[in-house]
Amino acid sequence: MTAVGKYHLKFDQGTLTLADWTSEGIAGVFSDQNPWLWDGRANVWRCDAWHYSSVKRQIDLRAWQVEDWATEWPVVQFPQVSLPSLRTHQREAVERWLEPKSGVVVMPTGTGKTEVALKLMATLQVPTLVVSPVRDLMYQWHRRILQGLGYDSGIVGDTAFDVRAVTVTTYDSAAIHAPKLGNRFQLLVFDECHHLPGDFRRDAARMSLAPYRLGLSATPERSDGRHADFSWLIGPTVYNLPIADVKGTILADYEVVRIPVHLNTQEQARYDQLSAEVRQFVYQRKQEDPQFRWRELCAESALDPAARSAILAFRHKQSIEDRATEKLRVLEDLFRLHTGTPIVVFAGSNAMAFEVSRRFLVPCLLSHCGKKERREILDGLQAGDYPALVANQVLDEGVDLPAVKVAVVIGGTASTKQARQRLGRILRRSGDAKAVLYEVICSETNEAKRSRRRRDNDAYQGTRHRRM
Amino acid sequence: MLTKELAIAECRDGFLLPDRLYRQHHGHYLAIAEQLLELYRAGVGQTRRELHAAARKLFEQEQDCPLRRIDAFCKLLDDASTFDKDRRGAAAQLRAKVFRMAAKFHPLVVEADSLFEHAEAVVKDEIAQALGTTWESISDRLFADVIPYQKLAKFTGYATPGDLLARYNVAQCQAALYRAQSLTVWATEDLKIILRYAKLARLVHTIDEDRNGTHRLYFDGPASVLRATSRYGVAMARFLPSLLACRGWRMEAKVAMGRGGWTRRLCLSADDGLRSALPPPEEFDSQVEADFAADWAASDPSEWTMSRETVVLHQGQKTFVPDFVFQQAQGRRVLLEIAGFWTPEYLASKRESLERFLHEDILLAAPESLLKQANVEPWLRDYPGLIRYKTGLKAVDVLRRLCEQRP
Repeated sequence: MTAVGKYHLKFDQGTLTLADWTSEGIAGVFSDQNPWLWDGRANVWRCDAWHYSSVKRQIDLRAWQVEDWATEWPVVQFPQVSLPSLRTHQREAVERWLEPKSGVVVMPTGTGKTEVALKLMATLQVPTLVVSPVRDLMYQWHRRILQGLGYDSGIVGDTAFDVRAVTVTTYDSAAIHAPKLGNRFQLLVFDECHHLPGDFRRDAARMSLAPYRLGLSATPERSDGRHADFSWLIGPTVYNLPIADVKGTILADYEVVRIPVHLNTQEQARYDQLSAEVRQFVYQRKQEDPQFRWRELCAESALDPAARSAILAFRHKQSIEDRATEKLRVLEDLFRLHTGTPIVVFAGSNAMAFEVSRRFLVPCLLSHCGKKERREILDGLQAGDYPALVANQVLDEGVDLPAVKVAVVIGGTASTKQARQRLGRILRRSGDAKAVLYEVICSETNEAKRSRRRRDNDAYQGTRHRRM
Repeated sequence: MLTKELAIAECRDGFLLPDRLYRQHHGHYLAIAEQLLELYRAGVGQTRRELHAAARKLFEQEQDCPLRRIDAFCKLLDDASTFDKDRRGAAAQLRAKVFRMAAKFHPLVVEADSLFEHAEAVVKDEIAQALGTTWESISDRLFADVIPYQKLAKFTGYATPGDLLARYNVAQCQAALYRAQSLTVWATEDLKIILRYAKLARLVHTIDEDRNGTHRLYFDGPASVLRATSRYGVAMARFLPSLLACRGWRMEAKVAMGRGGWTRRLCLSADDGLRSALPPPEEFDSQVEADFAADWAASDPSEWTMSRETVVLHQGQKTFVPDFVFQQAQGRRVLLEIAGFWTPEYLASKRESLERFLHEDILLAAPESLLKQANVEPWLRDYPGLIRYKTGLKAVDVLRRLCEQRP
């Protein structure tokens, strides 16, 4: 064995380093799991920061004298913890997670994932980074932490960089700043954690020393299968509450109503013409090259004016579907039908959201809204000052709208995850009232196809059709 | 810089070729660029959306132009513009006011009937009247803070159409680097500048030198030793303009393509004619250096050849590039550093470098005025290779020391 001395474990821009150890020394101490690689550029051993707990465990096990210079963990004390008492399934989730102190908790939207996380934060009282998919949710976490724990957390993202012992951020900011944030938190909370395993975003977990990790999601599966990486990015699935178990008990009973609309004569004519253009182009290409795929078009548009105009035609087609005039008329009917009930409208694009907002003079919640305006709109809807609001993708996941029982989707994509998240918005139980989700789509267009695909999802079972 | 969606590059024989406009093939782009500049110069008060639509119009007749190229030009023009961001939140206030007023008339219907008696047009007119204006005026300001509806306040970029095209070519090279895993620079000049800017971009270097004195500087990031990663590509893109301003280099980047683990090579050199917006580095750091170099050239000592900043001393991530290198025909090499600043931090870092590379022959020139100061640290006065000078460093003094220096 090599001589015992003082060695330093350091954090270097998202990695761990250890200097002055021989390969024999490393092989001896890390015989079970050796994450270290030699870095000749800086003459140190180096590994990803997430190995920190296992590295520490092995060093301590063999009582090696290594001074830990890696972590910068301040002491945390929450001034005023006032959390609601947990429901049975929430308590169970908390207990299961506390055994390994790392892992994924799967619970349907609306079943109180945030409360589980707050309870765990209050229990551990350690520096914590909360990572969420969009800044709306980031601000919502900020508010919930202030209400539940009495702590004014720092914000990283939305042009702010204010790191405190408890900080909220988004996946993109967490990944960008991982080299600076990785050694400052002991607990990571990944809200809607299916966003984490992306090529770049995973650095938010990989470049952090945090031994404690909590993943929250209603829909942890990813179509690319990379949720398998949760096992090391976060930890194993420690708790799983299926949607069928809670439907009608915790969540409101819901109904999906599909309303087909038709393009008006003008729109239909233009739509058909554009479709023909696109078809013609694809047909010609397939003649030349049977392997041709629409996806290759974007690459081709650089060189070929015909490809460019085909893409333009395709985009134009989509925007006709998205912004069909008839949709506004149906929306008026739905507003009439549900007067007195708050309604949330999901638009397929910002342009459509603005159009709805201008037409009906209802607020729209889009990325331009600051922290204050967001609050004002959400509070206003809840207080009944606003009859409705319109949103684009922003509200897709997890933003709380407790009073809403009617939602209208007038455009969107086919992803099942998005569909279930959207349903989650209106599934919040409130008295005995049943929730309704209207899906307004153009018939005989690609949108109808997307809707069919969406209904394969179990949350959409039992969709009714209605003509208005 | 461009967003990654605006990057255009072609793959050919393992090479990545960023979109580039050449005077030879794209001469007519000068006219379009002139019109684009004119559009923005005269465009104060117009929204982004309007400006971008007008820009697209300018390219309408252009047969061979991908949409992303047009969008990239818009981005570069926007980058050089100031837009009215409505910082005081006037639009948000107006929205809150209008929407709250409209709430009690909800739903606004196209045609009023006995059950729903609030027609859209009537309510809008009433709200406008109550606010003492027209609905058109309200509609114009309602979303003035939304990015596409923000109005141009000032355009300050690009003196000539050529500048805009030059910026475009560089921007596409930068965008191609976003997914770069490593960057290798072969350089014979401006080594100090290259290393300084790479360090500012937080890149990690590996340095070696070939027999002809060309240095190979290999750049990546801390985690690159653990796996191939593109996470430092943006840093490399930021570093590129500094490199373009230097002389005597060529570079090759390894750029990841998609998920499959394939990479392509992006090659650039000082002879490619890419124009940096940054000025070329100053030849000399100070007048003392410039005067000394002139004096040396005039005295022409045949035994020693002098060159500037051509040697990089390195140990791990620490580097030291002395100002002058003196090479004797028989193979002896002596280095000269001129102390240019007097702050304690500067002197401390000089001391660290000199101690780190003790095995090298390094002379340190410092002015008498600095050495006379009471608080100057003793190590400086006692440094064996110290050369004192009064007003300027003379070639003859350095030459004398070169001859005395340990054989």
